[in-house]
Amino acid sequence: MTTRKRPELKPLFVERMKSLLVNQKDFENYMNILKVLPVKSIRCNLLKISPKELKEKLEKKGWNIQIPWEKYPEIMIVQSDLEPGELGRAKEHLLGDYYVQELASMLPIIALKPQPEDIILDLCSAPGSKTTQACSKMNNTGTIIANEVSLGRIKILASNLERCGVANTIITKKDGVAFCKRIKKMEIEFDKILVDAPCSGEGTLRSSPKTYVMWNIKTIKNLPRIQKNLVTSALEILKSGGELIYSTCTHAPEENEGVVDYLLKEFKGKIKLEKIELPIKAREGITGWQEKKFSPEIKKCVRVYPQDNNTEGFFLAKFKKLK
Amino acid sequence: MNTLKILTIKEKQNIINKLKNQFGISYIKGIFVKRGTERLFLFTGSFTVQQVIQLENSLPIERVGIYFGKEQNEKIRLSLEGVHLLKNQITKNIFELNKEQAEQWMKGHELYIQTRKNDFLIMKYNGDFLGCGKASAEKIGNYVSKNRRLKEGDFLD
Repeated sequence: MTTRKRPELKPLFVERMKSLLVNQKDFENYMNILKVLPVKSIRCNLLKISPKELKEKLEKKGWNIQIPWEKYPEIMIVQSDLEPGELGRAKEHLLGDYYVQELASMLPIIALKPQPEDIILDLCSAPGSKTTQACSKMNNTGTIIANEVSLGRIKILASNLERCGVANTIITKKDGVAFCKRIKKMEIEFDKILVDAPCSGEGTLRSSPKTYVMWNIKTIKNLPRIQKNLVTSALEILKSGGELIYSTCTHAPEENEGVVDYLLKEFKGKIKLEKIELPIKAREGITGWQEKKFSPEIKKCVRVYPQDNNTEGFFLAKFKKLK
Repeated sequence: MNTLKILTIKEKQNIINKLKNQFGISYIKGIFVKRGTERLFLFTGSFTVQQVIQLENSLPIERVGIYFGKEQNEKIRLSLEGVHLLKNQITKNIFELNKEQAEQWMKGHELYIQTRKNDFLIMKYNGDFLGCGKASAEKIGNYVSKNRRLKEGDFLD
């Protein structure tokens, strides 16, 4: 494992992580893995090439390829030492044979299980890693609406969708809540929805050291309002029996279990939480944080900590809309 | 995005006829959408024409489907992705590159090769389809977009 010097963590962040990881050894493991560079993971673009062919192509280049999860042969780890940026500059990447994506970031789509012919909404879709992953599983059938509010990020999204040969997708530019209101008026409903919400990004410390600098408690206190509004609006346009994944790349309970608990109360009798099957070690959602107590149902949510699987950190909840 | 123009069955067939003449492509499933006067997009999703129009009337649509080609002087210049999507049907006007030419091509350079053709050609190297170029008397013009090019100093393998 390649280690590096990391910026200083803010004391309040450390204190909060200690409260989440009460076992001293667990906390130390967490702190230690933050110093280690994340693994180089890629996802084979099934629209263009089979995992077997891609693996052979990359091995021919001299890259050492490992398939971490047998059930998902399209997900690969490049174990060779590469030049900085080499993954993104390789011919196979330029031609769209693979997408560079962190392992934990692949989990929301694994949990959503997109099927050919599904009608799917990716509400906060840029830069497109999860949209392309869903499309790859749908073989360009069904329909994905990829919504994004920022024009700058839409350009990146469109570029990634194009490189990956995604043809079943419509890109819209609208604030997420306003998007859902318009869609509701049109009486369009989705089989599956992904709300990969804007978050404080605590789980991305290994790959994005700027998060060390940007982290502040004010953001964590403000974001849940946006997150709750996004999922509340999205649930309104989910089909009966449809499924919605709410995910963040943060550990902050206010943005995770706090949001889920609010939704369970707000949509009581209309939605339920589903168990999530993932190919990694994942922990249950927590049922209390600071002075707040959450529904015991929230144990069905999933917390992914970097030290458990050598990934980034993530949080997932899967809702089913009741008939 | 400019207003979408969803092509009629006749307009779509007209494009396919051109693609058949140029490259042997005879069938494309999906809705053809035109943006501006030249750029062609292919949407393979299950939304119907009516649903796409309904969506456009209510929301700002940035893109429908994938950019697959451009109408240029009564012919179609396929984009890199257009070539990839339709590669299984391409039987005509394929130009096989050697490694050195393929590297130059993927770096965005024009290839000074006399092909004796004045047409769009599909560039291919070692089984990989590398897009579409415009052959003229002296050279093959390169349309590989900047974000898909190999960096100078990088090699194919």
